[in-house]
Amino acid sequence: MRYAGEKKFNIWVAMALGILGLFLIFVVYPLILILYKSVLSEDGSFSLAYFGKFFARKYYWNTLVNSFKVTIVSTLLAAVLGLVMAYVLRSIRIKGSKYLNILIVMSYLSPPFIGAYAWIQLLGRNGFITRILNNLFHVKLNGIYGFAGIVLVFSLQSFPLVYMYISGALKNLDNSLNEAAESLGCSAMQRVLQIIVPLVMPTMLASSLLVFMRVFSDFGTPMLIGEGYKTFPVLMYSQFMGEVSTDDHFAAALCVIIIGITLILFFFQRYLGNRYTYSMSALKPMEAEPCTGLKSVISHLFVYMVVLIATLPQLTVIITSFLATGGGSVYTGGFSLDNYRNTLFSKNNNSAIFNTYLFGLCAIAIVVVLGILISYLTVRKKSLLTNILDTVTMFPYIIPGSVLGISFLYAFNTKPFLLSGTAFIIVISLSIRRMPYTIRSSTAIIGQISPSVEEAAISLGCSEMKSFAKITVPMMMPGVLSGAIMSWITLISELSSSIILYTSRTQTLTVAIYAEVIRSNFGNAAAYSTILTLTSILSLLLFFKLTGSNDISI
Amino acid sequence: MGVAISIENAVKRFGKDTIINGLSLDIKPGEFFTLLGPSGCGKTTLLRMIIGFNSIEGGEIKVDQKVINNIPTNKRNMGMVFQNYAIFPHMTVKDNVAFGLKNRKISTSQIEAQVDEILKIVKIDHLKNRMPAKLSGGQQQRVALARAIVIHPEVLLMDEPLSNLDAKLRVEMRNAIKRIQQQIDITTIYVTHDQEEALAVSDRIAVMNGGVIQQIDTPKNVYQRPANLFVSTFIGLSNILPGMVVVKNGKISIRIKDDIIPMDRLSQEVKDGQNIKVSVRPEEFIINQADGAGIPATVKSSVFLGITTHYFVTLADGQEIEVIQNSDIWDIIPDGAKIRLSVQPQKINIYTEDGNKNLVVRRDQV
Repeated sequence: MRYAGEKKFNIWVAMALGILGLFLIFVVYPLILILYKSVLSEDGSFSLAYFGKFFARKYYWNTLVNSFKVTIVSTLLAAVLGLVMAYVLRSIRIKGSKYLNILIVMSYLSPPFIGAYAWIQLLGRNGFITRILNNLFHVKLNGIYGFAGIVLVFSLQSFPLVYMYISGALKNLDNSLNEAAESLGCSAMQRVLQIIVPLVMPTMLASSLLVFMRVFSDFGTPMLIGEGYKTFPVLMYSQFMGEVSTDDHFAAALCVIIIGITLILFFFQRYLGNRYTYSMSALKPMEAEPCTGLKSVISHLFVYMVVLIATLPQLTVIITSFLATGGGSVYTGGFSLDNYRNTLFSKNNNSAIFNTYLFGLCAIAIVVVLGILISYLTVRKKSLLTNILDTVTMFPYIIPGSVLGISFLYAFNTKPFLLSGTAFIIVISLSIRRMPYTIRSSTAIIGQISPSVEEAAISLGCSEMKSFAKITVPMMMPGVLSGAIMSWITLISELSSSIILYTSRTQTLTVAIYAEVIRSNFGNAAAYSTILTLTSILSLLLFFKLTGSNDISI
Repeated sequence: MGVAISIENAVKRFGKDTIINGLSLDIKPGEFFTLLGPSGCGKTTLLRMIIGFNSIEGGEIKVDQKVINNIPTNKRNMGMVFQNYAIFPHMTVKDNVAFGLKNRKISTSQIEAQVDEILKIVKIDHLKNRMPAKLSGGQQQRVALARAIVIHPEVLLMDEPLSNLDAKLRVEMRNAIKRIQQQIDITTIYVTHDQEEALAVSDRIAVMNGGVIQQIDTPKNVYQRPANLFVSTFIGLSNILPGMVVVKNGKISIRIKDDIIPMDRLSQEVKDGQNIKVSVRPEEFIINQADGAGIPATVKSSVFLGITTHYFVTLADGQEIEVIQNSDIWDIIPDGAKIRLSVQPQKINIYTEDGNKNLVVRRDQV
């Protein structure tokens, strides 16, 4: 729709073109480069040899099989665990459920590889629990590595996501549906199976797919706890960064394969999302009912056990951060603050903390500003141009972090875009990774604001630009800010692209933790992790305070 | 004060669809002018063309003879009240009302004075520092009105301003709007689909359908002498009966069913035997005894509404008709009773068979 006297080429078109240009440089160009490299042979001709190489040797293609195996098993476990936890906590009154809810969210917010490293501390070859078991039963347990370890970490890490989504869906399920079913002669069990499960199924599928995509492209966890069990992202990382033989073109081909897989998943998710959604809003939500006796005991035991196991890695990390070490991985038995002295107050090491805050805040600023602009353009200024913008800005959604990192190094290693090694490139990569989520939430926020509010401002003498700045933006702000806090929490725990792009000067907390773990400097790693966790907790509390609710969407 | 608005052959297209194709109308200075029509008739589109939220693809819109087609909205000096009020939720009542003044580079003390004055006029001066979320629907409506008129616009536009209020508040607010409009004497264009509201507030009403103006007239004429069958059935209730013109010895009558009714003010162009549509409002019937004069009918059911009593009756050929009588002290006619219906010839309207033209010569046109 066009206002009277509006020019064909106006400030909005210019802005849309500018943003599109940025995305072409920082998203489309690197992607095309990867695609190009993957089909370019040594002598410069077209060749599918790199793809052939991957599918010819079992050593390579088996990583894909492994990835699918761990992803499918972890996703299923996470989905079932998330569903049961959400239903129990919504339908039965559990003591302290408000705090349990926060703990569950917390366990999701830390990066998965920290879970992996914490579980190694507990159940690894020389782990705390392993040693107890070995001494107690005089056995020689070898610790949880490989398939079982990866699945353990991933399912515990991911079920909170399913839990949060389903919990939200259950909240929107009006209790009258339950009562209607009951009045029509349904038993309690039938109600769960015939009413509740079908109604939350779309939500469960959607969240499971999110889990699937996240788990499938995660590289830190299998790297640490996988040992011989090599998954696809690990292969990709070692082909690109490995110490032995790296092959750029082969790594590019691997990137193309994983983008292909996430692309298929993305469209599958879209298809499901369009096909199976119920819009519900409850006037009278389901209430958690008090129950007594065995049922209550079992429910409490189950919920508390799951939450305990899920938060165990965080606890381990926090406790070990206060343990005295003999300078490396050996704990001497006492407590000390040495680890914090080595991380927080040593000149060489504390830049990681500073970098994390700096990069995170810069990226958030970029994401918020661009997110508001892009969502405004695509919602209010619909045109062919903004349609293209809408599509292009969703691209990063299907690019796994490691692929983004690799493509950035390909694209910005030479002039005119010599950016590798700078802080700028890390900030950009963080922004791009978070962009689709921010745009989606901003779009939803704008959708809630009636266009006539802006028109009112214009009729009162504002220019369009001024009414955007003085009316629309302030009205969006509360929603955008709470979204920004969630983005902040996810950004500071980002590893997969930073690990590829960092240099010693641009190390972030997650990179530092990962590096310390690899060096077996568990004390320092624990101290860094605790700082990260503390930041997340404080941010989360700020989020709760700002939104005044305990519900979270990621 | 107030400006004249004239619209000449205005055209509005959305993509390939033409919503309004060559519409013309003139609004007098200081007039309360209402665009009335069913939803989707183009009335809001026309309003948005006048204020500039919709571009105009053909024709001209003039304010005091000056073409404003390409002047952007923020330079047109028109105030608008929106259907959902569009109150800025992050500003107090005072800041909402002062918003337009601040865009006009007026001194702070003057803004303060003008805001206070207008808040008194719309009677919400005690709510000056409230946030919008703490206001009732009617109060928000008053803020929206104050905000639109405080800038001394040349034209005040209102897009279904009362549709979100409950019935009682709607009546109260429409009286308030009318009072304020007269008080500040401003050309006002009002969009509504509620005919009673339109009749109550307007100086003149333009009835629209399908992007075309059906009739522009005073509320009284629009109700009593609808220009065509659409207006007759859209404004108020009308029973449409097929009939025929009978010309005998130079005297014109009409025949409805078997009843002959002499009509003295029918257009001279009618011919003997011409088929016509007769539009009779429920209150324009007179109920006679079964052995009296008029069209035979049977009472099917009745509803007692206090001031009036509604009868649903069936004619001999099965056509169903609604009749309204002032409730009197006699008993309500029982269901199944046989009656006869005659009409008040000076009140009914006669249309050509296609319903496009009213054949009654109006008193003011004689």
